[in-house]
Amino acid sequence: MSTLDLFDNYINGNLGPDEKSEFEIVLKTDEFIANAFFEHVHLIKTLNQAQLRSNFKQTLTKIHHKEIGSDLNIISINREETFFKKYTKTIVLAASSAFIAVMITLFILSTGGYLSKKQSNQITDLNRVGLERKSKSQLNIKDIKSKAPEIFYSAATVEGSAFALNNKGYIITSFHMVNGADSIFIENDQINRACTKIVFTDAKLDLAILKIVNSELVVKWKVPFSIKEKNSDVGEKVFTLGYPRNEMVYGDGSLSSLSGYSNNKSMYQISIPVNPGNSGGPLLDEKANIIGVIRGKISGEEGTGFAIKSIEILKAISELESDSLKQELMSQNKRNHNINNLKRSEQIKLINPYVFNVLVYKKD
Amino acid sequence: MQKPKEQFTDNDFLVGLLNGKNDVLSALYKKYYNVVLKFILYNSGTAASAQDIYQETIIVLFESVKKPGFELKCQLQTYIFSIAKRLWLKELKKNGKTFLFKEVEENKIVDVTEDLKDYDEIEANIEKMNKSLIVLGEPCSELIKDFYINKLSMEQIAEKFGYTNADNAKTQKYKCLQRLKKFFFDK
Repeated sequence: MSTLDLFDNYINGNLGPDEKSEFEIVLKTDEFIANAFFEHVHLIKTLNQAQLRSNFKQTLTKIHHKEIGSDLNIISINREETFFKKYTKTIVLAASSAFIAVMITLFILSTGGYLSKKQSNQITDLNRVGLERKSKSQLNIKDIKSKAPEIFYSAATVEGSAFALNNKGYIITSFHMVNGADSIFIENDQINRACTKIVFTDAKLDLAILKIVNSELVVKWKVPFSIKEKNSDVGEKVFTLGYPRNEMVYGDGSLSSLSGYSNNKSMYQISIPVNPGNSGGPLLDEKANIIGVIRGKISGEEGTGFAIKSIEILKAISELESDSLKQELMSQNKRNHNINNLKRSEQIKLINPYVFNVLVYKKD
Repeated sequence: MQKPKEQFTDNDFLVGLLNGKNDVLSALYKKYYNVVLKFILYNSGTAASAQDIYQETIIVLFESVKKPGFELKCQLQTYIFSIAKRLWLKELKKNGKTFLFKEVEENKIVDVTEDLKDYDEIEANIEKMNKSLIVLGEPCSELIKDFYINKLSMEQIAEKFGYTNADNAKTQKYKCLQRLKKFFFDK
């Protein structure tokens, strides 16, 4: 009998009483054999433990699907009263043909990422079927030797951009992206991934304000920009930051018109090529004031975009009925005055942490 | 007669777990999931990460209960929450995040260091094993599993893998195992 057979037979209890006691004496006296044996036991034990855990985990996953169901249905979002009020108003408004025309002709730039890369400017499918994403921090880990199991987040239904409104963790984005969401997360390199809830929406403006649920994440926030309270002028140089892909992308151009499509006075027209995924991103002027929120573009016309005017956003907030929420949202940042004269690349470094990729999960 | 699910005591859960009762496991899983989910959602996690952490937690619980001399010195919920919290903290650290925890409720904590140490040790071994098995490749990897996990006889293995007889299969198994040992023990 080979040593290996002896080991296996001993472990499985297949040795006769004499062979067994003989082997146990060898184990006590022959250090070399003893070491080889314990190594063998360790190996076989690990093989079986791996199998046990894997089986048990499968059982748990089955239970999870049966008892808990799909992940996306769990998080309930607290929509404030204002949401319903504004939304009802919008339905009435939507009846006006002009508004419908805008809705149809404007591309809703809510989908970004992988498909837009493949399809370049030919956007046909607006509700992109997301791919499984690696968490940001994992993507940055170049060292594949790392033993950590990779974390995959499930794919979002819709993705777009967003930015911080103030230091209290309020986030501005587009309403059309978060409409009907089950859960909304924001991501960037600084914050990694954070859960948010909707606190305010205005469907007519296509504006949504979210709040980061975990307030600990924003204790050190110093949002360097503020929302401009006046209209900007035609010809001003403007720029935007957004997430048409998984990485932040910069785009610049100038303000082309003080009205948007079909003379919509609540929007600017800009000469920045915007792509799916830019929706909800900030539009900034040369001094890095927020002057608008990227809204969409005209189908077929490249190099032209539209943004909701900052003054309209402030107006919507000031019309809020809940005084406490109004106060929270109106709380402006101590603007970092140094940002005015910085080089663009330096400005972006300061702004970068406060621009996010939005991941919206919807049922179905 | 089966007790209604809500009336399982902590002890019922542990005994059911030890005896591999799937209905008890289901009830247990359902009962404490929300405590963990809520905590993780409030601390920059997602429902998906909560599921992972919770399942890992239940595995730690299961393996601890199986140890001889295991004694639950606190409420089951406290025990489960303590493990989940530690696992989530570890996960966040792994992603290079220093973190201030936001406590959801008055969740009590007990020391679960020993239980987690055992779990981590085994997990590290398992990862090493899984990698070694991949390097080992087929048919060796399957042959080893068939013999040591599925407990097939050498005759069955010879037939399955197309060896002419059990002795040949045994020689093959020996070679495979030597290679596996080389990879696993980094020799």
